[in-house]
Amino acid sequence: MKTGLPRLGAKTILPFVLLLALLVLPASGIKPNIIRILFITFVWTITSIAWNLVGGFTGQVSFGFAVFYGLGAYTAGLLINAGGNPYFAFIAASGVAVLASFLVGLPTFRLRGPYFAIATIGVTEAIRVIMGNLKITGGASGLSIIEHRQFRQVEHYYTALVTLALAVAVSVLVAKSRFGLALRAIKQDEDAAADLGVNPYQAKLWIHAIAAALTGVAGAIHARYAVFIDPSGGAGGVFAFQTGISILLMPVIGGIGTVWGPVLGGLVFGIVEEELVVNFPNIHLLLYGVLLILIILLEPEGLAGLLRKLFGLFRRPSGDSESQRAY
Amino acid sequence: MTFEDFLDPLISALLLAGIYAAMSVGMTIIYGVMKIVNLAHASFMMLGAYFAYELFERFHIDPILGAIAALPVFFLFGMAVHRLLVRWLPKSDQPTLASLLLMFGLSLVLQNVAYLVWKNEDRSITTSYTLSSYHLGPFGISKVRVIVFVAAVVSIVVLQIALRRSWFGRGMRSLIQNPYASQIVGVDDRKTSMFTFGLGTAFAGFAGALLALLFSFSPDFGRPFLLRSFVIIVLGGLESFSGVAIGALILALVESYSIFIPGLEASYQPAISYGLLVVVLLILPKGIAGLLERKWRSG
Repeated sequence: MKTGLPRLGAKTILPFVLLLALLVLPASGIKPNIIRILFITFVWTITSIAWNLVGGFTGQVSFGFAVFYGLGAYTAGLLINAGGNPYFAFIAASGVAVLASFLVGLPTFRLRGPYFAIATIGVTEAIRVIMGNLKITGGASGLSIIEHRQFRQVEHYYTALVTLALAVAVSVLVAKSRFGLALRAIKQDEDAAADLGVNPYQAKLWIHAIAAALTGVAGAIHARYAVFIDPSGGAGGVFAFQTGISILLMPVIGGIGTVWGPVLGGLVFGIVEEELVVNFPNIHLLLYGVLLILIILLEPEGLAGLLRKLFGLFRRPSGDSESQRAY
Repeated sequence: MTFEDFLDPLISALLLAGIYAAMSVGMTIIYGVMKIVNLAHASFMMLGAYFAYELFERFHIDPILGAIAALPVFFLFGMAVHRLLVRWLPKSDQPTLASLLLMFGLSLVLQNVAYLVWKNEDRSITTSYTLSSYHLGPFGISKVRVIVFVAAVVSIVVLQIALRRSWFGRGMRSLIQNPYASQIVGVDDRKTSMFTFGLGTAFAGFAGALLALLFSFSPDFGRPFLLRSFVIIVLGGLESFSGVAIGALILALVESYSIFIPGLEASYQPAISYGLLVVVLLILPKGIAGLLERKWRSG
């Protein structure tokens, strides 16, 4: 197969078609509830893509993304309450999240693999305890966000959609770049990568910062929509351990280390979460747990891997080279 | 500050360290043999607490006896978990992402089952001796804390002796030291792993039942203690028994004496052990035991 111009195959065009469809969707007079579900799904998917940059491409499993999500939410909430422009607040939220990512990453990236993962649990819990007690966050009782503007659902929808498109673009760019190759090298063998001239510590810090910025914006977008945020440890609290878990679950469901797996996982998770929480509020943890166990034991590459296998059955043998490249 | 003010936290730290060590021992042996960071440990502890609770409420069995009864029950439960789930994990001499997430998935399942059975409300066990205390000069020492301490220490000592004397214990320790060499000399890796997982789970259930005597609990009960177990086994160097004891003591001391840090409100106190976790991971990656080892080697 020649590799000159990029092939304009279905694979390249499909995302743009999808984006276009989602852009014109609100004009079709669809129900506000569907728009709401899509909005929340987009927000989740942004965090899923962000987590995958660190956990999937680079192999550094973090339980601590709720920190960035929560800080983004609170930064935006406080700035909007102070009369700031919401879009400026989003940028500020990503800035704060990036600063936090260095604060978390500078010490913890000295650790490897599971030690890093355990350390992120410690950092998240510590920050949650602190944020739950500070006066500026409204303490445990939460923070109401008052915006002196008309509430327009479509504006929220487009904000989330554009940010999601941006996140996908970042993910594609990272996957195709030299930097992305360095990250994959770190995932496979950190020492070997270092021997080949990659600085693992710095690479991890930078990708962590990018991921934090995206997660912070997602938290900010969600906070502006939700109008009320609280830092509690229970479900729905922006700093809750549960939030960090949801963020980690999506890419695992979808297929970590790929560009589209986390998107798929985020979409499935967002829609299922909205439907599950409404219909089965008592057993959604159980379902996630079972799903996680099944994925780990049966299909470690998630839904993306499963789909690839299913479609691979119908494909010509020459298609093999493509599926191998994706690994 | 009087001398009593200073000594009081010391006593409570010592008593706390016993149960801290008991709850961390299970995690240490599972990590040592299988290199699995058992995130479901918290859920096993939570189930242990409810086990003692149910025995106490329904059959009026003393929680200490309940804790002892939890040992065989959770041993079998742990072996079943190993047989159904854990043994399918790819083998590795380092902790893997798959094992981390598998145990995490299991903990979600167990936690949700507990929510369904016991609902999301705080429970506690109140025995006839819960509120009584011994008096030693100026100090009042809670009776239940002493009982829990004794039970925890006895269990650890018995386990330690059993592992030193038995064929299984020797096999287990050899797997911790060198998995390849021990398989060459005939240690059955799979069977030992299953036993170890059962034993680790048994101790989690046991510790959970003891903790239920001291604290109120809900299905979300285990996580703070899971994090403390992390701190302890990391302090202890991950694989050593005496390390666990030292780690438990250090954590209990830090927690008890943190009330003396000026300007620190009680509500911030949990952040200390979590912060300590990160600090310890950074400066003592091999724990206190590793530090001592280095000292001995150079000295």
